[in-house]
Amino acid sequence: MKKENSGDVFLVLKFKNKNKEKIRNRYNEYNDEFVIETKELNLWYEDNHALKNINMKFRKNKVTAIIGPSGCGKSTLLRCFNRMNDVIEGCRIEGEVLFKGENLYNNNADIRINRKKIGMIFQKPNPFPMSIYDNIIYGPKIHKIEDNEILEEITENCLKRAVLWDEVKDRLKDTAMSLSGGQQQRLCIARALAVEPEILLMDEPTASLDPIATQKIEDLIFELKKEWTVIIVTHNMQQAARISDYTGFMYLGELIEYGETTQIFENPHQKLTENYITGRFG
Amino acid sequence: MATETVYDQILYKEDLSYLKKNRDPIIKWTLFVFASIATIFVFLIIIFLFINGAPFFAAVPLNDFLFGTNWLPTAGDFGALPIIVDTLLVTFGAIIIALPLGLATAIFIAEIAPPKLRKALKFTVEILAGIPSIVYGFFGLIVLNVIIKDIFGLHYGNSWLSGSFILAIMALPTIVSVCEDAIRAVPDYYRNASYAMGATKWQTIRKIVIPAGMSGITAAIILGIGRALGETMAMLLVIGNCKTFPEPLTNLLDCVAVITSTIAAGWGPTEQGSLEQRSYLALAIFLFLMTLIINTIANLILSRIQRKFSGERSKKRFSEFRESKLYKYMQKYKQLLLTIIISGLFILIPIDFVSRVIGVSICIGLSFLMYIRKKVPQNKKKWITYGIIIAFVGWVLSTWIGILLAITICVLILGTIYVIRRISTVSQQRLWFSIIYLFSLLAVIIVGILVSYIVVRGFPVLLEPDFLTGFPSDNGREGGILPAIVGTLELTLGSIAFALPLGVCAGIYLSEYAKNNRITKIIRAGIDNLNGTPSIVFALFGFVFFILFFGLGRSLLVGILTLGLMILPTIIRTTEEAVKAIPQSFREGSLALGSSKWQGIGKIVFPAAIPGIITGAILGMGRSAGETAPIMFTAVRSSARWITFSLFEPVMALTYHLYRLNTEVLDAVDKAAGTALTLLILVLLLYAFAFIIRSRYEKRKQW
Ligand SMILES: Nc1ncnc2c1ncn2[C@@H]1O[C@H](COP(=O)(O)OP(=O)(O)OP(=O)(O)O)[C@@H](O)[C@H]1O
Ligand SMILES: [Mg+2]
Repeated sequence: MKKENSGDVFLVLKFKNKNKEKIRNRYNEYNDEFVIETKELNLWYEDNHALKNINMKFRKNKVTAIIGPSGCGKSTLLRCFNRMNDVIEGCRIEGEVLFKGENLYNNNADIRINRKKIGMIFQKPNPFPMSIYDNIIYGPKIHKIEDNEILEEITENCLKRAVLWDEVKDRLKDTAMSLSGGQQQRLCIARALAVEPEILLMDEPTASLDPIATQKIEDLIFELKKEWTVIIVTHNMQQAARISDYTGFMYLGELIEYGETTQIFENPHQKLTENYITGRFG
Repeated sequence: MATETVYDQILYKEDLSYLKKNRDPIIKWTLFVFASIATIFVFLIIIFLFINGAPFFAAVPLNDFLFGTNWLPTAGDFGALPIIVDTLLVTFGAIIIALPLGLATAIFIAEIAPPKLRKALKFTVEILAGIPSIVYGFFGLIVLNVIIKDIFGLHYGNSWLSGSFILAIMALPTIVSVCEDAIRAVPDYYRNASYAMGATKWQTIRKIVIPAGMSGITAAIILGIGRALGETMAMLLVIGNCKTFPEPLTNLLDCVAVITSTIAAGWGPTEQGSLEQRSYLALAIFLFLMTLIINTIANLILSRIQRKFSGERSKKRFSEFRESKLYKYMQKYKQLLLTIIISGLFILIPIDFVSRVIGVSICIGLSFLMYIRKKVPQNKKKWITYGIIIAFVGWVLSTWIGILLAITICVLILGTIYVIRRISTVSQQRLWFSIIYLFSLLAVIIVGILVSYIVVRGFPVLLEPDFLTGFPSDNGREGGILPAIVGTLELTLGSIAFALPLGVCAGIYLSEYAKNNRITKIIRAGIDNLNGTPSIVFALFGFVFFILFFGLGRSLLVGILTLGLMILPTIIRTTEEAVKAIPQSFREGSLALGSSKWQGIGKIVFPAAIPGIITGAILGMGRSAGETAPIMFTAVRSSARWITFSLFEPVMALTYHLYRLNTEVLDAVDKAAGTALTLLILVLLLYAFAFIIRSRYEKRKQW
């Protein structure tokens, strides 16, 4: 970590990426408006019908928020988008999830390639039991980046973007388990950013953060959506209203209403949605 | 922050097809092969035992085996009943002695002791579980039997009493640690609720904590029984091995024989393939089935406790059974049923007429008393309990003097209890705590005497110039024990080198890759049961499989394989538990970054589980080093006096050397004490090391 000129940490990297234009195009070549689309998605945990006929389209370069009471299936839906539910025993899925027009649940679809492109931040922070630095470079190493210099760049860059750099820059070799809950969550965000996903799934990323860090993460989301797509689950109504372009409201495994955030918050069509948003619920 | 756009750091290859080439299938298959080998061995043990024992059951009617009263295989008499009854009696006696001591110690450790003392005691108890059984045997033979002989004026001290006493000391660590866990598992809010109502500490323990931890305490007793049943070497040395009923059935001072010691004493000289040899396999099968039942019950209880406090629902099938009419009938008439079964047993077993009548009448009398007990008003109930105790103790002692003694003791106890009821709750607590202190102290003293006797007697020997570095001469009466030390190290290291890779791979495969279907469950059950199988069973398997079937000679190799198989189940299980204890979120976090399954396991889960696995491995080594029975027929030879590094030569081992010094060479007690101390130090150091690693790791762990 010899870098002092934090003002322009990407200098080296810029230099190395000669064919930047080409790479830039990579994210733009898929020109459809929707990157992720679910069709008649149903999901069961054993005999608990957790998702019921979800039809939803997620727009490119937008932030979509999913709201709803606890246990309504928000996390479950989010986990469908990078096939995280595969590891749960007794979980059964029907229907399609299209990513750039291809079914994620198709037998030919390579889960790992898709997971690299669709990053996820979990509801509970889950840093690995290794050093902060090792946490960040875990992903890049999996994806065949071995050069130490580049790995250090990535670490610094990602930690800065996740607003953690200043707190940990002197203790990158310490174990990540010694961080506070909020710091751990930001570390997980940095770790997800390090593999450069095209879509970022965030499950209540700011639930354990203080207002300042929350503000920074929200800034980051704004930043990200310029080029990427963010799907975020949140319990915080103001947050959803502030940062998202589209909002879906779920209740008991069903998608009750889905539309532009301003419409959902100012003029909900469904009674349930209105009740939930105005806090007159259950 | 610099206002770079996200593009500026793109480094990843456009083509992600490298992700498609992964080593996962290869690794999965490798693990699978290892797991299969381990599993095959596990089941081979069971299968081989049964196949080789089967001809016996074809030749000798089961009835003659189970109910015959004469065991003399050389003459074709295969009545195992006295041995079975003796085994039950010795075990029963052990539990009667160990339970009050163990429970009191557990209560003391869990509820009363200050944190520092608690930690130290717990640590000690865990280490003591590692004392090799041959060391207990040595102590029993040299000290306990002599004491018993002198006190009661007998010719020999070898007796049911000394067997039970030694087994009780051996079972103590198991009982204490499982009881302690059970008591600790009772959530604190139970206690707080009780204190909040003004209850004293003792009232809380007595009325809240113990009832809530009852099933755990039951499991502890059952596990203690399992431990006692499987004990071979100590029994071989202290109980005298006469395959008859005690005469009369309640004579604590008569010599007896247990299943394990009968096998160990009789197996060696038998002719290969003879009915005689197979009769010992039949005994081993019987023992295996007994421990199987006992361990299964204990495991069921323990897993039920886990479910209870973690709030999971019990299994559907079981709750359906609970609803059924049959179950309700069984509940209603269980006492009658039990009485009939036990009386029936007394009538069936061919003991002398008087014992039979006494047995049946006591059984019926007891059940009648219990029946009345339900009918009488609450405040009179205790008198009936006391009556039962008096009757029972009287029966055990069964002479007039004994009955008088029993009545005196009971009156004393009753008097104390009567007084206790009259005094204030605070004094009550003081009294009960004193009893607990007394019992815990007694437990500590007994174990302390054992250890210090060996230290005091063995230490000067250890200091002799040639003892640790010299070779034995004159059958071990002179010289040192270097070959035995080297042999033990070879056996221990060899067995762990064999079992660790197999066990770790199998454990990882079972917990991470195996589908949770019926086959996996069967495998897991098989492994679990071999975990508690007596070492003498492994000894027979090692002999039958490697020496008879494969034609290998007695050698280091066969010893290593036999010991390795013995510790394999433990290693598989500890690996599985260690890997399972790593939270699922680590695996998910890794997968979400696009890693393969194995990358997540190999780079995150496995490293995090290593301390747990190492703990298991070291405990396995400690067990290997302390076992005698598995190497007795497979790896050692009395004449092996030299150091050998060849896998195909017999070796000497500390445990076997000590065994010889206790049996063939009776006038070398000092050398025996020195050997015992060396063995004790070696094994206890291994155990201490394992638990230190574990506690370090638990302190560091933050998930
Ligand atoms: N691993 C699992 N196994 C079985 N059932 C599960 C599992 N995970 C979730 N469920 C069930 O699925 C339903 C939806 O859960 P989910 O976690 O998606 O809710 P959520 O909307 O994210 O709630 P919260 O806001 O509390 O995070 C719940 O009824 C839950 O009990
Ligand atoms: Mg959730």
